[in-house]
Amino acid sequence: MFHKQLFIRIAAVAGVWASLMFAQTPAPAVAQAPAKLVVSGDVAKPITLGAEDLAAMPREKVSIPDQDGTQVEYEGVTLREILQRAGTPLGNQLRGKALTTYVLAKAHDGYQVVFALGEIDASFGNGKILVVDKRDGKALFGYQGPLRLVCPDDKAGARSVRMLETLEVVQLQK
Amino acid sequence: MNGLKLPAMAAALLVLALTTRWAVSAEPEKPADYQWNLPKGFPRPYVPADNPMSAAKVELGRYLFYDSRMSVNGKQSCANCHKQDLAFTDGRAVGVGATGELHSRSAMSLVNVAYSAALTWSNPEMKSLEKQALVPMFGDHPVELGLREGDAFLPLLRSDSRYAALFARAFPADTDRFTMANVTKAIASFERSIISARSPYDRYHYDREDDAVSESAKRGEILFFSQHISCFRCHSGFNFSDATASERNADREIEFHNTGLYNLSGGLSYPSPNVGIYEFTHAPADVGKFKAPTLRNIALTAPYMHDGSIQTLEGVLDHYAAGGRRIASGPMAGNGHDNPNKDHLIGGFPLSAQDRADLIDFLKCLTDDEVIRDPRFANPWL
Ligand code: HEC
Ligand code: HEC
Repeated sequence: MFHKQLFIRIAAVAGVWASLMFAQTPAPAVAQAPAKLVVSGDVAKPITLGAEDLAAMPREKVSIPDQDGTQVEYEGVTLREILQRAGTPLGNQLRGKALTTYVLAKAHDGYQVVFALGEIDASFGNGKILVVDKRDGKALFGYQGPLRLVCPDDKAGARSVRMLETLEVVQLQK
Repeated sequence: MNGLKLPAMAAALLVLALTTRWAVSAEPEKPADYQWNLPKGFPRPYVPADNPMSAAKVELGRYLFYDSRMSVNGKQSCANCHKQDLAFTDGRAVGVGATGELHSRSAMSLVNVAYSAALTWSNPEMKSLEKQALVPMFGDHPVELGLREGDAFLPLLRSDSRYAALFARAFPADTDRFTMANVTKAIASFERSIISARSPYDRYHYDREDDAVSESAKRGEILFFSQHISCFRCHSGFNFSDATASERNADREIEFHNTGLYNLSGGLSYPSPNVGIYEFTHAPADVGKFKAPTLRNIALTAPYMHDGSIQTLEGVLDHYAAGGRRIASGPMAGNGHDNPNKDHLIGGFPLSAQDRADLIDFLKCLTDDEVIRDPRFANPWL
């Protein structure tokens, strides 16, 4: 019993770690630009958020194991909060055809992953996904930043997109 | 061939168990008084329960590591092939043993070896530093230090007053301290203590000293971690090796990779005896699969790869950019690009002169000048 739990814990740690390491955004060799997140597509009001906008929004922290087990604290704004700002159908609007909506997260170099709105809505998957700009209290930089996604509930890390630039909302049935 | 073959190893262990007072001290060891002083981002290394770290063991291990009396002809110690100023490598393509015999593979860096989930280039079963130390000491394929059972080495330790004091501090509870098991425990403890965490990259990445590395190195870091170049997929984590384990992640399942260095026709695609983990698994798909070693201090450890067959970091980048190495003629002829076991991540990529310079600058900033000068890791006999 004990061993099994231990094993599961280790597997989970390794999984999250591997997932963070593998979440990759290919990157052109350019100097780091300031944080900028574009939310576009099938939204009521497309927005562009800078570092200060994100700093002024409700902030959340998650602490997850990195690499071989050292704990890392990420801080940022939930994906749900950001999508709500742009008028994406969430909460009681997320029904009928709105449930065919997904979010395409795109990185600086073209790396892309998809989240369905149902995954993050509180009444459905209720998954916590963060757009983070800080790691252990310091601004993300280098190959991680200035913005990245962190998906603490994912077992693998490939959706924890580094160098995040755009969230494109697509509704398949209108 | 390579180190000790398994049956030979088993036999050697058996002989050791019979002829020396193998391992076992009756009393438990004192709780570790050892201070790791690990920086941020560095987990505590895995340490086997029967060999807890202590400063006294580390110190004894250092004397043994540098003691050339630990060889058949008094000519070599571990340090001949693992030199501190070369990040504990030897600058040669392949190791040369005490009797002049050549190893088939290149001496590996011992920096951060405490974090290595599997030891040597391609032995998935070799996980213990204590056991590994027996290979260079007693192995005869090839002869490295060339010790033999029952030779003068243990009696020599017993009669040396300096060792008497060192062993007494390191193994206070043992009635017979001068055993091969204690020798390997001490050497392993010394090896575990050699930790590199003070490179310019660490100051940039963990301490957030923005000017610790050049702009070019920063661009190189982004390339290293980029999807199309993907070095980070195998040279991952704080130790730049996916074969990394630690206290909280001790039993990490590790992967070995074929990077397309060779593609010989007929028989095995890699030149014998360096056939990768195939040597142990005998699965044809494992030919040419090796451990992705740490890239810390890589600028100091040329020549590169398991057989030292690439001279420079530029050459290593050419190999990866081409998605495998083409050898036009001679006994090694073949296009590694087409090796059937090649890892799917080794696909090749375009590399501009600027990208190349940036990647090299990044790799160079992984050099830790402190670890190669640290008196704690230096020859204590001088
Ligand atoms: C003749 C040169 C030589 C001597 C002497 C030597 N080594 Fe090595 N060492 C090597 C080579 C070559 C390898 C790679 C072996 C392989 O792949 O099978 C290696 C690998 C290692 C590794 C594995 C490192 C890793 O990252 O996986 C360790 C640990 C090690 N040696 C420790 C020692 C110790 C301890 C001694 C002294 C008892 C010693 N070596 C003596 C040449 C040498
Ligand atoms: C598919 C996994 C993989 C990828 C991707 C990869 N490597 Fe490696 N690397 C390895 C393996 C395995 C070895 C040892 C191969 C051998 O000796 O046959 C190695 C060896 C090396 C060495 C020589 C190490 C030494 O001690 O001699 C360097 C330098 C290196 N890689 C750099 C890089 C760089 C730079 C990149 C990105 C361009 C990269 N690697 C991408 C797996 C990988």
